[in-house]
Amino acid sequence: MILIPILAVLIGVIIGLLMHHPFTGNLGQYLAVGCLAGLDTVCGGIRSGYEGKFHTDIFVSGFITNLVIAISMAWLGDRIYIDLYQAVALVLGWRIFTNLSLIRRSILNQWRDARERRRQEELAKQSRASSANLGDPASN
Amino acid sequence: MNPFAKRIKPQDNWVIPVSILGVVLGIMFTSAWVTQQNRPTRLGLTDPSQEQRIALGPIDLQQKNAQLAQEVARLRDEKTRLENSVATQTGSSKLLNQELQAAKEFACLTDVEGPGVVVTLRDSQKPVTEYVQDQIIHDGDVLRVVNELWNAGANAISVNNNRVAPTTAIRCVGSTILVNNTPVASPIAVRAIGDPATLLGALNLPGGVLSEIRSTDPAMVQIDTVSEMTISAFTGSTQMKFSKVPPVTGKLSP
Repeated sequence: MILIPILAVLIGVIIGLLMHHPFTGNLGQYLAVGCLAGLDTVCGGIRSGYEGKFHTDIFVSGFITNLVIAISMAWLGDRIYIDLYQAVALVLGWRIFTNLSLIRRSILNQWRDARERRRQEELAKQSRASSANLGDPASN
Repeated sequence: MNPFAKRIKPQDNWVIPVSILGVVLGIMFTSAWVTQQNRPTRLGLTDPSQEQRIALGPIDLQQKNAQLAQEVARLRDEKTRLENSVATQTGSSKLLNQELQAAKEFACLTDVEGPGVVVTLRDSQKPVTEYVQDQIIHDGDVLRVVNELWNAGANAISVNNNRVAPTTAIRCVGSTILVNNTPVASPIAVRAIGDPATLLGALNLPGGVLSEIRSTDPAMVQIDTVSEMTISAFTGSTQMKFSKVPPVTGKLSP
């Protein structure tokens, strides 16, 4: 399941390359900050999906508002000569790390649970088979 | 009805929205990516420390630049050869070609050979003192040496094999000295073709360009005279974007 969003990002990259229109100057800098916000939101969406708390409206609105907030903070920082984009980069980088570690944990947990369940089923099957063997003397 | 609806389990409802915005994110990243096209417009907007890190550019860019410089040199050689072969026929074209070759030599577009001096400037190896700024070679030092060599009658100068041409700038970005926009680092070899004795005398003038550096550490400067060396041609752009030659008016003299 995690592969589909990754594939989607790659498709976006290909579309972007076909558009062949890299942003120049300040606009590019602001979009780069926006990219961090977008990456954080997408990671957060995957995480909440794995945790079973996903809501489309929260996710989509989060994507847009995070983008706007990140870009406007970078813009504001440039207006008042404070490197506010560094604060944005720090917080978003932090959150991306947290989200990715939680995704990793969820995937590993899911995987371990599935293995454990298979083992239990295997055991149950074996015990059923052995009890059936015991209970049916004709098979001996 | 919806063929996808049945396959998606309720706990996987996040995949489609996340994927859609993932596509948007991919487009955003490629648009924000720094490429050859938008690199110049964005370089000035970075932190000084980051600018210094990326000023040298990716390695492949340097290799490509070196390849292109070689290509330019090869094509200019080829051009000279063709000009010479065209001009062997008649007297007037021969004369024109001679003038053309002389102009090209003056414009630093040809390799040149001759005697001269090699001035090697290197950062001081002594332990760092409080005058650390004096212990390293700056763009200004290189510039002053080049200036002095021109003044002493040098015919051709190169700095670490970058030919000093009419449009050459010697400056620094961060802690890197740039000659013709190519980074050079200590030790910096300034080669000059000219009369070795005159050049040497000019460089060693008391109170001259090198005396200040020598007073910090004599080992920072080394001058060798060379009886024969080759200085390669300028490989940068020769296009004139803004200037043009005014048309010649007046009658031709008979």
